[in-house]
Order: sequence, then C-alpha cells, then structure tokens
Amino acid sequence: MDKLLSALVAVALSTAVVAGHHSFAAEYNANDQVTLVGTITKVEWTNPHTWFFIDVKGPEGQVVNWAIEGGAPTVLYREGWKPTSLKVGDQVTVTIALAKDKSRKQGNAYLVKLPDGRCVFAGSSGPGGAATDNCTPGRR
Amino acid sequence: MRRAIGLAALTLLSAIPLGVAAQWQGYPTPRIPRTADGKVNLSAPAPKTADGQPDLNGLWLASRAVFDLRLAVKEIPLSPEGKRIFDERQATQSKDDPSARCLPTGLPVRALLRTPFKIVQGPGTTAILYESSTRFRQVLTDGRPLPKEIDWPAWQGFSIGRWDTDTFVITTSGFNGKAWLDQAGHPSSDAMTITERFRRRDFGHMDMEMIIDDRKMYTRPWSINAEFILQADTELLEFICEENERDSAGFRR
Repeated sequence: MDKLLSALVAVALSTAVVAGHHSFAAEYNANDQVTLVGTITKVEWTNPHTWFFIDVKGPEGQVVNWAIEGGAPTVLYREGWKPTSLKVGDQVTVTIALAKDKSRKQGNAYLVKLPDGRCVFAGSSGPGGAATDNCTPGRR
Repeated sequence: MRRAIGLAALTLLSAIPLGVAAQWQGYPTPRIPRTADGKVNLSAPAPKTADGQPDLNGLWLASRAVFDLRLAVKEIPLSPEGKRIFDERQATQSKDDPSARCLPTGLPVRALLRTPFKIVQGPGTTAILYESSTRFRQVLTDGRPLPKEIDWPAWQGFSIGRWDTDTFVITTSGFNGKAWLDQAGHPSSDAMTITERFRRRDFGHMDMEMIIDDRKMYTRPWSINAEFILQADTELLEFICEENERDSAGFRR
C-alpha cells in the first residue's frame, strides 16, 4: 500500500458509520478497500444513490470499467456537490470498499480526489464514510 | 461523526464555488431568528402558533444518524420470536431489508436518517414529510380516537396526535408488521403501537422519545431517544428511490 492509501484507510477506520438506504454489509466489505485511478465514463446523479463509472488501466494495459457507488444525491447536494461536479473524462482517484461479489467490478466510494487535487467526500454508506479533509496528506 | 461530516462539508464548501440559491438550496429561510453574523439563532425561544400551541413547523434532521438501534438503545428486549427473526436477518447481513428495495423503512430509523423531514402543522392534521423516498405521514389531530378494528393494516400504521402541555404526542397502531425498525433487522408486528413524544426545546432543537410497544416481538415497551436540529436555508429535495436502485442485485451473505 502506498502512503496515500494508508492514510485513507486510517481515516476510514477511525470514523463512524455514516448512512445509506440499505445495508452496507450485504453488499460491500468495509475491510476490503482499494484505491483506483481512472477516467470517468458515465455519471448517474440518481436516487437512492449516486453512481459513476471509471475506466481503470491494469498493469498489462487492459482496461476495466468499475461501477462506483456514492451517497444519496440530496445529501451530497447539501454538501455542495452538483449533478455536474464529476464529468465524463475527468481523471479521479477513488478509495472504495469492494463489493463482496468479486465478479462485479464495483465499490462504495469514501473519497474522490479530483485532477486538481481537491478531495471530496463521496457520502459512502459504509463504515468510515465520514471522510475528513486530510485526504491529501499534509493539506488541511 | 457530526464533526467529521462538518469537516467534510467545510472542505467541500471551500473547494467548490457555490452557485446562488440553486433551486431551494441556500435561499435564506425568511422570518427566523438570526444572530448578528446571519447564522440561525438555534437557541432562541421556541415559537408558538397563532392559537398558542408550540409550533413544530420546520425542517428537522437527527443530530446523530442511526441505522442500527443497538447504537442508540442500551437494551432492546427481544422476545424469543423477535430474537429468532432478528438473528436470521443478522446472519444474512440484512439482505432482505425491504427498504433496500425502496419499500418503507420503519418509523424509528426513518426519523434518524441523514435526510431531513418536514413537519407541517395544520388544523386537524399534522403532516410529516420525509425526504427519504419522498414519503409522508398524516397525523390526525381532530380529536378522533384510533380505529378500534383494523381491517387493512398499513406499512406506516394509523396516527393520531394530541398536545400534552408542550409535548406533541403521536400514537400509531394498525401496522402490517412488514417494515424493519432499523437496518440491523429489528422486527415489528401487527401488535405494535408506537408513541412518539416531540418537544421543541428552543428554536433550533427538538427532542423525541419514541416508545415501541410490540408484545409479539419484544417482552416490554422500550424507548429510543433522539434530538433533531432545525435545518435552515434548505428545503426538502426530491428523492425518488425507484429511479436507480442497483444495490439489491449485488447483495451477498
């Protein structure tokens, strides 16, 4: 794990359960997290949860499309997100809890880091969903 | 947790330039007490309606979101039948939770979500409008009693309300027993009566005691206590749960 991921996981594990309209544990494993870097291919600003999809290039150059679940749009909206905050083509870094069903390339997002370094809380429904503002180490 | 969310929100607000009052978000709620710096004065006195009753009107949000009632209640007195059902739901990671498929949540967890609800206090009816899944409850305050016989039990039951000095007391029965009280899977039955006691302590704070009396699922009545904070400069937002429910297809034990 790189330093960034360690920092994120530390943040995630130290904070409390946030929210969701469904049981997080039925779908995701909070202890099975990865950080992915990819390019947004689709954004769904929808109820009950937001979703976006990213193309992630593997070590052999193969591209895999991942489905990333975020918080409820009304919750994100009040926190400053807009339906247009993420755009197709944006390169993002996301830390996700992986789906239990490994045949699904899917995760529940804790934090999304935008190309300009801004970090945004993704409203995850999982343990540790309440991210803090130190997702870029050293920046407060 | 509130602090963490606050920090996250702060980061966002400083990072993303906000438009001016997009839809209802950010439009200053009129006619509410504010301090010199424009912030809502949450500790101002609780208002009264024209007829002198405490005024509960407003948008309210739980000060602490709770999805598993064990985190808010010391001991939940499950009956043997209640425990059997609860254990089964726990063992299957709550994958059969109706609310995960956009069916109604039980009243306890619905009050404690991260989405607010609005109280609209009118003559004869007080409406509770929940943002989550855009649902409403009608609490009849016209003096009628609860129906003696329930020939059509309901997800949300049938509610009447009355004032006990400055506390609004809602009594609800006639439940169909399908809703889970929380995401952990605490069950309910058609024998359940829920009593909610709301008291607006000051302008910005409302306390609630919710008493669950369901002798099929629990051995005695038990209470959930919560605090709600008035939400200003925002309004209910649309939440159509059925729009894009992708989760239930991925539920695994």
